[in-house]
Amino acid sequence: MARPANSPSRDPLQPQRLSNGGLVDRSRTIEFTFDGRTYKGHPGDTVASALLANGIVLAGRSFKYHRPRGIISAGSEEPNALLELRTGARREPNTKATVAELFDGLEATSQNRWPSLDFDVMSVNSLLSPIFVAGFYYKTFMWPAKFWEKLYEPAIRRAAGLGRAADVADPDLYEKVTAHTDVLVIGGGPAGLMAALAAARSGKRVVIVDEQAALGGRAIDDAATIDGRPARDWVRAAEEELAARPDVTILRRTAVFGTYDGGTYAAIERVADHLPQPKDHHPRQRLWRIVAKRAVLASGATERPIVFGDNDRPGVMLAGAVRSYINRYGVVPGDNVVVFTNNDYGATTVTDLIRSGANVVALVDSRPKPSETVSRIASATGIKLLNGAVVTRAFGKKRVSGVTVRTQTGAEVKLLCDLVAVSGGWNPNIQLTTHLGGKPAWNDRLQCFLPGALPPSMSLGGSVAGDFSLHKALSGGAAAGASAVALEGAKPITIVVPQAADESDAITPLWRVEDHAGKAFVDFQNDVSDKDIELAEREGFRAVEHLKRYTTLGMATDQGRTANVNALAIMAEITSRTIPQTGITIARPPYVPVALGALAGHHRGKSFKPTRLPPSYKWAKEQGGVCVETGLWLRPSYFPRKGEKDWLDTAKREVNTVRSAVGICDVSTLGKVDVQGTDAGIFLDRIYMNNLKSLPIGKARYGGMLREDGVLFDDGTIARFGDHHYFITTTTANAVRALQHMEYCSQWLWPELDVQIISATEQWAQYAVAGPKSRELLQKIVDPAFDISDAGFPYLQVGEITVCGGIKARLFRLSFSGERAYEIGVPARYGDALMRKLWEAGREFGACAYGTEALGVMRIEKGHISGPELNGNTTPHDVGLGGMVSKTKDFIGRVLGARPGMLDPNRPSLVGFRPVDRSARLRSGAHFIAQGVEATAENDDGYMTSVAYSPSNGHWIGLGFLKHGPSRIGEIVRAYDPVRGGDTLVEVVKPVFVDQEGVRVRG
Amino acid sequence: MRIACPYCGERSLDEYLYSGDATVRRPDFASPTAQADFVKYVYERKNSPGQHRELWYHAAGCHAWLVVTRDVSTHIITAVEPAKDVALGTASSMKDTA
Amino acid sequence: MADSTLQPTSAFSHLEPTSLPGIAIEPRENFTMASFAAGKGRLEALAAAIREAYGVELPRRPQRVVGNGIVFVWLGPDQWLAIAERTNNRDLEVELKQRVAGLASVVDQSDGRVIVRVSGPLAREVLAKGVPIDLHADTFGVNAVAITHASHIGVIMWQVDAAPTFELAMFRSYADSFAHWLLEAVASTVPAAA
Repeated sequence: MARPANSPSRDPLQPQRLSNGGLVDRSRTIEFTFDGRTYKGHPGDTVASALLANGIVLAGRSFKYHRPRGIISAGSEEPNALLELRTGARREPNTKATVAELFDGLEATSQNRWPSLDFDVMSVNSLLSPIFVAGFYYKTFMWPAKFWEKLYEPAIRRAAGLGRAADVADPDLYEKVTAHTDVLVIGGGPAGLMAALAAARSGKRVVIVDEQAALGGRAIDDAATIDGRPARDWVRAAEEELAARPDVTILRRTAVFGTYDGGTYAAIERVADHLPQPKDHHPRQRLWRIVAKRAVLASGATERPIVFGDNDRPGVMLAGAVRSYINRYGVVPGDNVVVFTNNDYGATTVTDLIRSGANVVALVDSRPKPSETVSRIASATGIKLLNGAVVTRAFGKKRVSGVTVRTQTGAEVKLLCDLVAVSGGWNPNIQLTTHLGGKPAWNDRLQCFLPGALPPSMSLGGSVAGDFSLHKALSGGAAAGASAVALEGAKPITIVVPQAADESDAITPLWRVEDHAGKAFVDFQNDVSDKDIELAEREGFRAVEHLKRYTTLGMATDQGRTANVNALAIMAEITSRTIPQTGITIARPPYVPVALGALAGHHRGKSFKPTRLPPSYKWAKEQGGVCVETGLWLRPSYFPRKGEKDWLDTAKREVNTVRSAVGICDVSTLGKVDVQGTDAGIFLDRIYMNNLKSLPIGKARYGGMLREDGVLFDDGTIARFGDHHYFITTTTANAVRALQHMEYCSQWLWPELDVQIISATEQWAQYAVAGPKSRELLQKIVDPAFDISDAGFPYLQVGEITVCGGIKARLFRLSFSGERAYEIGVPARYGDALMRKLWEAGREFGACAYGTEALGVMRIEKGHISGPELNGNTTPHDVGLGGMVSKTKDFIGRVLGARPGMLDPNRPSLVGFRPVDRSARLRSGAHFIAQGVEATAENDDGYMTSVAYSPSNGHWIGLGFLKHGPSRIGEIVRAYDPVRGGDTLVEVVKPVFVDQEGVRVRG
Repeated sequence: MRIACPYCGERSLDEYLYSGDATVRRPDFASPTAQADFVKYVYERKNSPGQHRELWYHAAGCHAWLVVTRDVSTHIITAVEPAKDVALGTASSMKDTA
Repeated sequence: MADSTLQPTSAFSHLEPTSLPGIAIEPRENFTMASFAAGKGRLEALAAAIREAYGVELPRRPQRVVGNGIVFVWLGPDQWLAIAERTNNRDLEVELKQRVAGLASVVDQSDGRVIVRVSGPLAREVLAKGVPIDLHADTFGVNAVAITHASHIGVIMWQVDAAPTFELAMFRSYADSFAHWLLEAVASTVPAAA
């Protein structure tokens, strides 16, 4: 069909670009490619507007049937025009062409087609469409079950899905920001701008957010007039006023995607998606957490299509989108246009089309009588008006070439056209009002759902409230903004609402055209047609939540924003219920898709969690120490030397050195808590299972903490420095929880006690110096005034001393290794220097540094419990510490720890193990089975918790929990490990493998 | 969700840890029914909708334990009190409008 | 400890004092610090002892108070952190133990935490990328204190002046992780290099 004779001159390189109008910058022309061909556009275009300017409507193939699909909308509701943008690491699939902004050199590719968009092999699915109905997967791939994993799933995965994700790591940065504001205005259209102006003029803090690059909303899309001048001028003035205020933040290209409790909102800002790549060190996207005392939701409305035959043909477009392309982008998407509407707004599209030189073939209005607005338009433009008529089917394949219209008399006529502008009415964008469970309310006059109960502190402005006319939007927005700040204590201010038209919002519902031919789509992105809804109804899936899940309607990345209301209206029709009786599904965040990178922000890769470095970390790295993550800490696990072939080799050498000479280990990561107060002793007695009353000043004692249910929670040492001054250690892993527990006890359980609990974990760099020569080594560090001889500083002695010429220090004679050993603490800033000093001084004794591997081996050799034994299931009796449990005092865990089940001798309890075949390797996690019985759960006698190769014994050793363990010493049992194919005979032994008499610790 | 710490002011949920029911008190270990009392104290809870008195810990803030009165259906918080004051019976039932 | 053979080491391996348009950052470690918590029923006596010794009122809410050569930072209910320059072997643990003996539990924290100063017109924008609380001048302000977190790292922070200048104190072991985040936040805030 020819372009109308009266059409204005156009750019031959962009045949559908109007010579003026819109917000695009015609002074610059930029190039982009689509499926390898180069096209031209302007800054300010979206990919969709640029494609349309070049006469392209076919943008992709549909998800299930691979039907050709075009651009339907001009916003984030777009279900069809999903493209792959960019290449390489920045390749991003399923990007909405209607949202993506054009930049010079942009590469866009269509999706879900092979070998090409024009000719797609899989479109055969369309011929098989009777098979691919709702519930297809549920019905087809159920049986046989074993086929699912090997056959069905891989095949479906190949055929399904749309674009391809990049196959290398995302090279871009993302960040997260928190903003606090008095008023958050969601939406920068006329209502939002008025709300922001009203709030800002009162002096309150305002954040205004809009999805698009330019503010103005439908006032720009509709080329409206405000106060007698073009809306864009009014918008610019409003923007300038807001920008000049220091307490106003304008966030463009930002979508609020979630409403959360306490006035918290999440928004995603596309900082650099409109650029070829982000600026150096700057993020691609920014995730905003906005905490707002009040929010004004001015999120507008989304137009809905009408369901008729082959309504998915490229060139069938929402009427409001047609107006957006003309007025915002200066592009007329077709030359010969049929407008199909059930409402007055849709009809006004005619005016924009005529103004832009398009030929309006007919205005097909389903309402039997012309409304006042329609009559006015018809007489002003002289177009053909078909009242009481409906489009029953579109024809054309890759582009619509005409429509069949059933007139009021029932006659069918064919109209040739290359664009169908459809309006089925508008759905207010109420999603953010439902995220906290608010139920939408049906409005019969406007034929749409309006927000029902609002989240606390939210109010509405503009078309989301059903105020569809520009006049109502401006005044509604102003009122919402003014009342929001009034509730926040601002003085009332008078807002003059600018003059604007109060257009008609008259509508007579038409959801789908009866007796249509062809496939009539409801959800374009998930390829759900009206027949699927009928099928769902026949099969009993009538509730909207069932309909959604059975047909996948509304479950695509567009959240069914053009589909949901049409679907439930059709369901209402079929089931002869009203729409409110049928109900609507509740939206959940996110309102728009959000990149996972944005949710992670700074916290990815090595920054996923913060890392804590112990004081000797730098020294350890210089020494070639290999570090492991233990919680947030990075601790050296072993210090390999030349010629050692693996960690085991190194750990053996480190253990042997400690047991024969001396070794040094950074134990600063242990939790350290300073406990003071006149009731400190009473307090500690209540949180530890063992008796601490008798602990003298200057001594340390091992202690265990239980949970109130009697299970072991943590262990460590308690040192007493004064009458009312204790210093305790916790395990590294439980440091934070132990402090929390102590604060719980002191604040909630026993607030009457005079006790002060202060964390001192990081104040002290603490080193274990262990081995027969440890004292000799320390002698070179400790200032001469202090006697650390065995007599002067015996086992379990603690003291405040000085080292290296006056540095304050704490010395503890404690041993985890079973050797003569000390822990020495200095203020952390001297930690690195002390480590170097110890290293230097240790040379003459053949000292080594040892890491967590050797530490672990030595504690297993001594049968000391650690994380694997403190596993949240074990009692003091289980780990052989039953004798320590006080019977004379109350303490956390006392009563429930004394339940018969907790003391049952049948409970697996701690013993040691060694392989019968001494060359065999043991593995933790193996279960114990008595010899000669079947390896079943009933015969399970316990499990191995810790294993190590013991250099001191020359074979593997293990600790574990065995039923009646202590009475089975000498018995041979199976260590059965079906997961790793292990089945080893082990001998039950006492859980001490070195120095059973325990004489070495005393020197 | 945001909780107004009586000491620090309103903070986001990510600074707090929830730690159970604030209406139960630790029983007397010496009572003849101690074991049954402790079982009830540690394990037995009604899972009811509506208003709860809950213990929260301001973990990333001042380390205060708090008693939060919260409707678990709507998440609306009507009072936040220092646990210490509640335990000592001196709480001045601070009202929070959130 | 001038006569000691041990020299202190910075907790920061790569954070240097940096000044960029709109923002300056500076690690600060040379302090003596001690925390102290009032003994039960000793709060008023403690406040009087501090008033007597240093001429300032201990803040009872999240504030700090600057005395002569010493700063007291609110650290939670009935707890404070005292901070002073580490000159002439000054040791606040020793000093406070003498002045508030029997009234409060004093613990040396000189090495437990390190401080980073963030200053300049862009400071709020930078900090908002990790700190979740409201730092607006009307709600925070000079001498305000908050215990919160920055990029998942626990911090005690306070505002020093209206530049604005903030100081954030974090546990020593987090120094490098904190610096890594801060430098990234600064780089993404200052105008991009050409």
